[in-house]
Amino acid sequence: MLNALIVVWRESLEAMLVIGILLAWISRQPEPVPLRRGVWLGVLAGLGLAVALGFATFATFAAQSQLQGEALEAFQVGMVLFAAALIVQMVIWMRRHGRRMKQQLEEQAGKASGAIGIGVVTALAVAREGAETVVFLYGLGLEAGGTALLGLAGAAAAGFALAAASGWIIARGARFLSYRVLFRTSEILLLFIAASLLAAGIDRMIGMDWLLPLLDPVWDVSALLDDRQGAGRIMADFLGYRARPSGTLLIAYAAFWALALGGLACLGRDSGGRASGGNAPAGGKN
Amino acid sequence: MRVLNCLLFIAGLIGGAGVVSAAGLTTFPVVIKGGQIIPARLEVPAGIKIKLTIRNEGPGPCEFENLDLRVEKVLAPGASSFVVIHPLKPGSYRFFDEFHPSTSEMLLIAK
Repeated sequence: MLNALIVVWRESLEAMLVIGILLAWISRQPEPVPLRRGVWLGVLAGLGLAVALGFATFATFAAQSQLQGEALEAFQVGMVLFAAALIVQMVIWMRRHGRRMKQQLEEQAGKASGAIGIGVVTALAVAREGAETVVFLYGLGLEAGGTALLGLAGAAAAGFALAAASGWIIARGARFLSYRVLFRTSEILLLFIAASLLAAGIDRMIGMDWLLPLLDPVWDVSALLDDRQGAGRIMADFLGYRARPSGTLLIAYAAFWALALGGLACLGRDSGGRASGGNAPAGGKN
Repeated sequence: MRVLNCLLFIAGLIGGAGVVSAAGLTTFPVVIKGGQIIPARLEVPAGIKIKLTIRNEGPGPCEFENLDLRVEKVLAPGASSFVVIHPLKPGSYRFFDEFHPSTSEMLLIAK
């Protein structure tokens, strides 16, 4: 039972973290309602996708075909890479939105696409870990049966509630941060979450032999901070930390950070002349 | 959108350059049954690329995992999959079923 609680908590935490950050950011925007609706619709869509993916995982056993297994694998790789790219795109959008809030307000279209973007990112965050939770719980349910099922459902609900509470604490706690600190922290955290998604995709592709690891590992700092347990493991899951990174992963990281930070720097340069107020918008509570 | 395209392009480039056939590799079968991984100890040659085929004979789902090699496979009961292990340094690598962490363990010994 404790196992069920821990698995559900860990699997939901990443999605809750993303939701918490987004809600904290949204609450500082002058017109939060459509964006907030985007998040909740994203949660619903993500849950639907998670259930569908979970059942697709189960359906493949009936056919026993390795081809279907590979297709599912490819889909999961595609999903994490797409989610990583979308998060980068969203961070850039968030910065631009913060800069040009006043023009944006009058732009109905800009607002709608922002809400959709936020919804899609939320949906992918929920679906990714949610699918695994569906497989785990459904399977445990098959194993348990009868009265044990009730305890299992209770443990799963408790794990989920714990994760939701974690997300809520993040969203609430963020109220005490200044707009600038909140904004920078959200940006950095979201980019690290994107990096961890990229790392998960790369590792999966190496395991399928679609990618060569090149030099593996390039270095080994597991004596300093082990990524298999404790703080190192949490950093591995949420920030993409690797104690023994492969050459391919390092190349991907270099490309990722160059693109993400380069994109943000470009944006800072070309909107610097136009925007008047810098990062702190008129409506932000400092 | 430009950033998105760039990311996708680079991902495609890396993917395209690295595609190698997984066929013809030395293959070792692993079976997961009743929360246990069979065999509990598997000796493999070090320094060459190998392939593990994983079959979950149930009754529940499993998550075949190794934290050193970053292997993570979720398998429904009855499902099978594989993972390619790139050339290993001699040593022992611990695999477990994350859904049954207390009962399952397989030591992969690379020699």
